[in-house]
Amino acid sequence: MRALIAAAVGLAAALALVLTVTAIGAPAGETSPKPLLTTVPPESP
Amino acid sequence: MRRKASLVLLAFAVFFAALSPLLRFYAFPRLAKIPPSQYQEAVLEAKPATLIDYGTMQPKEVDKLSIVQTLKGNVEEAERIGKRTGRDVVVWDTLAYAEGPDGKMVSKIPERYIFDAHTQEPVHDKTEMADGHEVKREGIEFKWPLLTEKRDYDYFDLRVRKSAPIHYKGTRNFRGLEVYYFEQTIPWTQVDYPSVMPVKGITAKSLAGTGTKLWYTTVRKFWVEPVTGAPVYGEEIHEEEMRGGTLLGDRDKVTAFAGHVKMREDYIRSTVDLVKSQRQLVLLMTSYLPWGFLGLGITLLALALFLEARSRRPDGQDPARQPAPDPVEA
Repeated sequence: MRALIAAAVGLAAALALVLTVTAIGAPAGETSPKPLLTTVPPESP
Repeated sequence: MRRKASLVLLAFAVFFAALSPLLRFYAFPRLAKIPPSQYQEAVLEAKPATLIDYGTMQPKEVDKLSIVQTLKGNVEEAERIGKRTGRDVVVWDTLAYAEGPDGKMVSKIPERYIFDAHTQEPVHDKTEMADGHEVKREGIEFKWPLLTEKRDYDYFDLRVRKSAPIHYKGTRNFRGLEVYYFEQTIPWTQVDYPSVMPVKGITAKSLAGTGTKLWYTTVRKFWVEPVTGAPVYGEEIHEEEMRGGTLLGDRDKVTAFAGHVKMREDYIRSTVDLVKSQRQLVLLMTSYLPWGFLGLGITLLALALFLEARSRRPDGQDPARQPAPDPVEA
């Protein structure tokens, strides 16, 4: 019985972690202030 | 005490064993996505190239033609379209700007490409466009989906404004990376003149009024890193001809543009470096962590079982720790 409870705790913790991380997700960020280029950037070495 | 330790180990074993498939099959498809705020530029060059001189209507060879391709993620529009469609959306406003050797503009073609951030399936909106014309894309453009497959995809062609198959042609090695090589041929097709023409006074409408039509063909080649779906190198053998009408005099056709366009060396290097680092992040979620957690889970389970077995000896004691028997008197 105690082994079952231990396994359930492990499973619940894994589910909680994954669900939390996916719910938070990644931040969207902001639109870059840089323009769409109309000049050719110089070649970098 | 040993019993308690084996139970804790069992809990951790289940935790890591469960985390392995959850991470790969639940978290990865939801977390791995194209960021909506991405900004990227690339320069491609044709050396030499043939361009039409609109003054004389004669083709002339130039040393070099450069194309600057900029992609800019529009976060506000992505949120607006995302709310409307209920999907996680990326909006790329792009510009393909071609410049001749004299620094003057040759062509300038804007686009808006909207797609699902996770699957890269196209998402449609009334603002989706190519060179100012409303379009409804099918398939992909610029980038392949994460975990690219060895199969043909539909790829959107900016000039024809339609999608056509781009064929998987095999696996190659490109600067130490395993890449999939894709190729698309667009046969000679009549297309519209670009909305912005390089010479003042000449417009797409005035050219179309002469009856002279613009025809186009291209062979598009991409070397795609399959884990990230990012092209690390691209080439295009591009030709445009003006045919018929009153503009060409007694000629049937004139080359408007011809060139073998290739990615510039500094952009190849930076793209390969970027893709190599991003590839590790994707592999971490699809391979390294899931397999590592599974191995850890199995090891912890074995340890928990071992401790449990030892704690279940009849006297409940470790034989090594049992007191030595009393000496027997003779």
